[in-house]
Amino acid sequence: MKLLTHNMLTSHVRGVRPGGGFPLRIQATEVKVNNVDFNQEFVARMIPKVEWGALLEAAESLGHLSDLPHQLPPEYENNEDFLRKVHHVLLEVEVMEGILKCPDSGREFPITKGIPNMLLSEEEET
Amino acid sequence: MDSTDQSNLKRNKSEKKLLRKQIKARNTLMRHEGIECVSHTTQSLVVANGGLGNGVNRHQLLRLVEECGLVEALLMPPNKPYSFVKYGSTEEAKKAYDTLNGKEITLEDSNENVTLYVNFVEKVHWEDIIPISLPPGLMMVEELVSPEEEQKMLESIDWTENEVIQNAQKSLKHRRVKHFGYEFRYDNNNVDKDKPLPGGLPEICNTLLETCLKQGYIKHKPDQLTINQYEPGQGIPPHIDTHSAFEDEIISLSLGAEIVMDFKHPDGRTVAVMLPQRSLLVMTGESRYLWTHGITPRKFDIVHASGRQKVGSVTPDVGDLTLNRRGTRTSFTFRKVRRCPCNCTYPSVCDSQQGHQREEAPSFHHSETEASKLEQEYVHKVYEEIATHFSNTRHSPWPQIVEFLRTLPKGSIVADIGCGNGKYLGINKDLYMIGCDRSQNLVDICGEKKFQAFVCDALSVPVRNSSCDACISIAVIHHFSTAERRLAAVRELARLLRPGGKALIYVWAMEQEYNKQKSKYLKEKRASKGKEEEINTDVAWGLFCDQMHDNGSQHSTCSDHVLNDSKDKGSNAKQVINSKLPVHTNRTSFHSQDVLVPWHLKGDTNKKGECVKALQLPAGSKELQEFSPVFHRYYHVFCEGELEAACKTLACIRIQKSYYDQGNWCVVLEKQ
Repeated sequence: MKLLTHNMLTSHVRGVRPGGGFPLRIQATEVKVNNVDFNQEFVARMIPKVEWGALLEAAESLGHLSDLPHQLPPEYENNEDFLRKVHHVLLEVEVMEGILKCPDSGREFPITKGIPNMLLSEEEET
Repeated sequence: MDSTDQSNLKRNKSEKKLLRKQIKARNTLMRHEGIECVSHTTQSLVVANGGLGNGVNRHQLLRLVEECGLVEALLMPPNKPYSFVKYGSTEEAKKAYDTLNGKEITLEDSNENVTLYVNFVEKVHWEDIIPISLPPGLMMVEELVSPEEEQKMLESIDWTENEVIQNAQKSLKHRRVKHFGYEFRYDNNNVDKDKPLPGGLPEICNTLLETCLKQGYIKHKPDQLTINQYEPGQGIPPHIDTHSAFEDEIISLSLGAEIVMDFKHPDGRTVAVMLPQRSLLVMTGESRYLWTHGITPRKFDIVHASGRQKVGSVTPDVGDLTLNRRGTRTSFTFRKVRRCPCNCTYPSVCDSQQGHQREEAPSFHHSETEASKLEQEYVHKVYEEIATHFSNTRHSPWPQIVEFLRTLPKGSIVADIGCGNGKYLGINKDLYMIGCDRSQNLVDICGEKKFQAFVCDALSVPVRNSSCDACISIAVIHHFSTAERRLAAVRELARLLRPGGKALIYVWAMEQEYNKQKSKYLKEKRASKGKEEEINTDVAWGLFCDQMHDNGSQHSTCSDHVLNDSKDKGSNAKQVINSKLPVHTNRTSFHSQDVLVPWHLKGDTNKKGECVKALQLPAGSKELQEFSPVFHRYYHVFCEGELEAACKTLACIRIQKSYYDQGNWCVVLEKQ
């Protein structure tokens, strides 16, 4: 599970307050770093779609915050240095084993071989 | 000289192989068809792999055989993978033998190659070899009444007050009809069960009904009689006698003249049945409930030429057919009025059972729990079991879906809801695609391919609102068993989309033949190694298959052909617990929107992809059936317009495009 994927995932357990299921807290037991080809335009287009705060939080919990700024620099589209850092965090860091935890309900979703299992039981479904 | 014993010649490898295959064909024909081949030259040949049953059309075969000499007769039994050809002389037959044995031809209809294997046969009566089987449950009894009795019965009919068929075309003289016992209504094709006609059945019928009961042709005494009189040129349109009106056994006595009656199965098979004068036709079971029967309005019938009247099916293209001018035929059809609703095993054509379904409209479930349980049993569990095999048969991305993905802007975030084995997740490298599926085993396969994927239910996707630029849902929504759940799945897709985002949905169509074009699902009669979904033919001719495919593959396709659906129903009856759901025959049209579709698990890997010892069974062995499990998946196939109508009820999306693609109904939605 890459951090870009994580940025889209939210808990959908019954009873969770609206928005209360995002972002899922990561407790990783195995993290992998891959080499992914850098595509400047691709990364630049991702940034507006990403919840920035959640990304920072996730990166930090994995120890990969590096020196990502808390706020987006102006005209980041041409800032290759910045975009490379974003690229690394979004696409190169992968959680292979661990747990995703709903911040509201505490429900834990396992991650195995990079695959999160978000399946709810019948009672948990909204 | 024995044509296959040329001991002086040195055989090279390909000659040896040809001989082996030819002998194998001989043995198969003997064991399974009772056809005896001989080693000396005769005028007649049997051509294995040159039959209608394996895709050779008459046109093509005729061209081939005519090149070798004067063809007296070409006999192509329907549904059989062989044909017979008779030449004017043994020399011509020998020439054909030398030319055609081992010859590889390309089938005109499918561009596939088959190899013909030829053997000599003795002169035999065509009629003995090629009975087309009558529809199941159909029986014929000859000379039930004597000519004197026939005369008496015909004279006894008082036509002065016969029925007038409503809305009959005034210009055409319509067949004459008379009812006894109960009034039959043509407006609803049913009987007025509360209005018995006075007088009951005519006394003159008593003896023959007694005979029928005594002989066991019927189990119960009929209480309704319809007399139909057909002049030459008159007929009756194809129909099934209303299930809810009459019990199983329907008997029909033909007087005055013989006639040919046409039976047709929903999948298109037709059988022409000759009804001789004074014979009794008994329709039960499948022939009564599922096949339609009718009489074509014409003045001549095509019948067998050879001397005496033939009972049974009229086989086409025998070389022994002729025209028979019709006479005036009067039928006495006896039926027993039904008092309880029909509970036959053909719900798609049953008015009793269709009625029930309509009461519970729009779905056949009352509760979400029942729906969920059905899907658990007939969708989720199945995919977990078949995941590896299923994945191995999914590798051709459909062009229009690829096109949809390719035209998305670079850097789009796309969700594949119901991604299966991740077939579409890697199509466009300029997109960020995430996939999800209900099956852990299938999602694991995505993980192995290094795709981003997770496990979840399509009704509850754990992704933020409006976070996707696009979504695809390919062959997913048809697995939901209620209209509400299907709509809920569309709603989820809409929720995921940002304003302006697009969703592409594909669902299986009820109409597998559209604009006169058969879908690939219907057209493909053969599963090439690992490529397409398993097929079932309703003919077990597995022994020819390795000769046809000739690739010696370990994935022997014999398992495809040896198994057939009727066998499956028996051996896996415990799996098919829901009697309301018909089991579909693969590669045929759908007769019901809610069906169970069989999946034959094949291959030497179990669900987790671990290798198990490959089954070493002789090709075509019937034992193969027991080792090959069948799973049933639930589908709700969509009618034209159904998907669109469902989408239209959602205010947040607009239908941008709607089309039919290879047996699927498809929509492109845009989030408002």
